Amino acid sequence: MSEQPITIYKRMKDLPSTHILGAGTAMCAGCGGLQAIHEVYDILGKNTIFVNAAGCMSLLAIYPFTPFSGSWLYTSMASAPAGAQGVRDALDILLDRKRIKPEEDLKVVVLTGDGAANGIGVSSTSGAMERGLDFMYLCYDNEGYGNTGQQTSAATPHGAKTSTSTGAQGFGGFKKDLFAIWAAHKPAYVATVIGAEPMDLARKIEKAKNMNGPRMIIALSPCPTGWEFDPMETVEIGRLAVKTGIWPLKEYENGKVIHTKIPRERVPVEEYLKRQGRFKHLFEPERKDALINVIQARVDAYWASVESQA
Amino acid sequence: MKTASRLLGTALHLEGFQVQDAPRYGAERRGAPIFAYVRAAKEPIFERGIIRVPDLVIVADDSLVPVPAAGVLQGVSEYTVMLINTGEDAETWKHRLNFKGTVLTLPAEPAERAELKFVGATCAGAAACLLGVVSKGKLEAAFREELSKHGEAVVKRNLDQAFAAFEKMEANAGCVSEGAATSVDESPAADWVELPLDESDIAASAVHAGATSVEVRTGLWRIMRPVIDYERCNKCWWVCSEFCPDSAIKVKEGKPEIDYDHCKGCMICVAQCPPHAIEAVPEEQFAEEKK
Repeated sequence: MSEQPITIYKRMKDLPSTHILGAGTAMCAGCGGLQAIHEVYDILGKNTIFVNAAGCMSLLAIYPFTPFSGSWLYTSMASAPAGAQGVRDALDILLDRKRIKPEEDLKVVVLTGDGAANGIGVSSTSGAMERGLDFMYLCYDNEGYGNTGQQTSAATPHGAKTSTSTGAQGFGGFKKDLFAIWAAHKPAYVATVIGAEPMDLARKIEKAKNMNGPRMIIALSPCPTGWEFDPMETVEIGRLAVKTGIWPLKEYENGKVIHTKIPRERVPVEEYLKRQGRFKHLFEPERKDALINVIQARVDAYWASVESQA
Repeated sequence: MKTASRLLGTALHLEGFQVQDAPRYGAERRGAPIFAYVRAAKEPIFERGIIRVPDLVIVADDSLVPVPAAGVLQGVSEYTVMLINTGEDAETWKHRLNFKGTVLTLPAEPAERAELKFVGATCAGAAACLLGVVSKGKLEAAFREELSKHGEAVVKRNLDQAFAAFEKMEANAGCVSEGAATSVDESPAADWVELPLDESDIAASAVHAGATSVEVRTGLWRIMRPVIDYERCNKCWWVCSEFCPDSAIKVKEGKPEIDYDHCKGCMICVAQCPPHAIEAVPEEQFAEEKK
């Protein structure tokens, strides 16, 4: 743990001061997913091609408008990693035949929401990792099927109200551990990030950018529309997700998981929950301590296991 | 708006009409235009789908008029009545839109945000009066049928808004004329039926430049405007610019500049600026300055 990773992003002022993602997209005001994508794109640079599964970000590039400097390929929900395989193969053939120069090569990035990443697209993602495809996967995780009205997805957290979990207890299941599922494939890199922590995000994307093989990134994406909070609070909600320990910032590399930001004194989870309309039923009309305690206990158990392994 | 069409549809049904009412959504996001249609006739209705030639168009928010996706002028003619929720007068709009039909206005109340959610009830009440075939009694019955599950207080607040709008429109009661029934033969064939195939070498999408999304002026979404006080800005440069999801804050020579053509008004910059140098100012103030 003593060796410091080599990074050009040592302090905030090292982050790029110009942004290459174009303005004018159809994303909601205050979109946490778009925030993460614009931060990631700044680090990756213009020589990037996005392969986008259906989801909120389908609305990024609506012909003839695109916020990207390069190409964007749209696929069905299940098959973005397969699309990335095709693009990577085509680039490799062009390189091999010297029809493009090595400096003209593009980084292939899959962009999907949590619906595709945790549910319908798990199989093709697993296959791409198995084949060792040289690509990056960026999942913007807003914990539900956002662009169709926030239905429950496999990434929806316990107790959250969605348009398909409207009962007094909210969603009865638990958020799928996608990080662990991906890490079990032993790809080159897996990391969690969040737009509200741009330094942590920049260092991880910088690291992933300089690697080969499957590099898997999950960005928790506070969603004003689906989580029901004021768009101006996107960054505060994101920081609370980290400070409460609900969203652990970590990375997997060479068989090891390292936590990059450990909240030593964790804020109680209710500080995060009570600021979002999707958890309002935990506090009104009467406080549901049992449900809040279940959520807190799972977070506590997670960090206890992290500390016992340290 | 979905509720407005439902309320009006139910009221018409109670008056003995055959009714269709349906909402239409685009992408589900804040600020996206939404549509709701009501089709009513004494005879059975064989038409289906969206209304191509409306007799009455209600624009619940005048900022929708310049939004192409809202298409508020679609299918209008000299027989169409258009009711706009606006602070400006009917003549101004008639002139501005070069509109041949009747323009009526529903004066927008001065920024009572708490009342904003009742705009659906207001629209339904106004529409009922303009149609001239729905009595207040049936309107009330419709509101009770649709809204009573939310409790009496909600029914009452909605009814107050609807009746107020109904009464405001009384001078024009029944001004909407019923369009002729359309037959299948008159409906235009869907344009995709005849879509010619491109030559394969030009069939690929032709976006010849990067970042063309800047042509879309998302600044229209804004109701509050972030304004930087450069006296207090400590030129840290990264905070507002880095957190802006929309790349709408550029840094020029260490100074952040907000791109108001694209800022959607999320106010993340206002919340995150360390020296609190960014203030949220209502857009209306700038609209007044322009006049």
